[in-house]
Amino acid sequence: MLPGVRPRAIGTATGVTVSIARDPALVRTVRLVAAAVARSASFDEEFVEEVRLAVGEACALLVGSATAAGTGASTATGPVEVRMDLDERLRVVVSASGSVAVGDPPTSDIDGVEPWALLRGLIEDFSISVDTSATVLSMSWPVG
Amino acid sequence: MDLSLETRHEDGHTIIEVGGEIDVYTAPKLRDKITELVGNGDYHLVIDMEKVDFLDSTGLGVLVGGLKKVRAHDGSMRLICNQERLLKIFRITGLAKVFAIHSSQADALSER
Repeated sequence: MLPGVRPRAIGTATGVTVSIARDPALVRTVRLVAAAVARSASFDEEFVEEVRLAVGEACALLVGSATAAGTGASTATGPVEVRMDLDERLRVVVSASGSVAVGDPPTSDIDGVEPWALLRGLIEDFSISVDTSATVLSMSWPVG
Repeated sequence: MDLSLETRHEDGHTIIEVGGEIDVYTAPKLRDKITELVGNGDYHLVIDMEKVDFLDSTGLGVLVGGLKKVRAHDGSMRLICNQERLLKIFRITGLAKVFAIHSSQADALSER
């Protein structure tokens, strides 16, 4: 198992939770899990790709929030948790402690690209909840 | 899979063949390569993304940053991309209008 990855099965057959340290190298692991969960719901590779991109993007944003030194955008510590549940929809919740700026800090590497816009453009059902203690990104897709 | 970067010069351009995944972890490697090339006076870049499996907004940001760098020297940056899943990302973010996206190296190099 990769260091910092703590896969944790939930009590249902359709739920998967992955918790990773805020290390950008681990985001790929989450993408792989997300793609596997999506593929269990549909053989449509376009759908699988969309889920892989969206979950990776959301995860990268929360992981990156801890590494955007000097932006003052984050009070982030602790892991990033990704919860995926599959019923009539695939529901994904990506959460982490600390608040992140819902926009690009001018000094970020993202340089002119609005990552939240990519998520909003990609997913019909997408929401962000930010308060002083936590950031939660929720998204879902119809399946079946 | 990590990120692979192979660079060669052809017809007045510097071609960077990128392979693997461009994400929050690997994008800094591409950024550093572009910075190094521009620092060496290579202002006309062709980024071949045919072997790229994944691209996120961090990667897009590096490409935008690279475009700004070469334009500061009256240079150019052309992308080679045929993959619909990547082209979709450029369209969603509006960057399809910002970058010159070509279907092949021959196509990219033939444009004047």
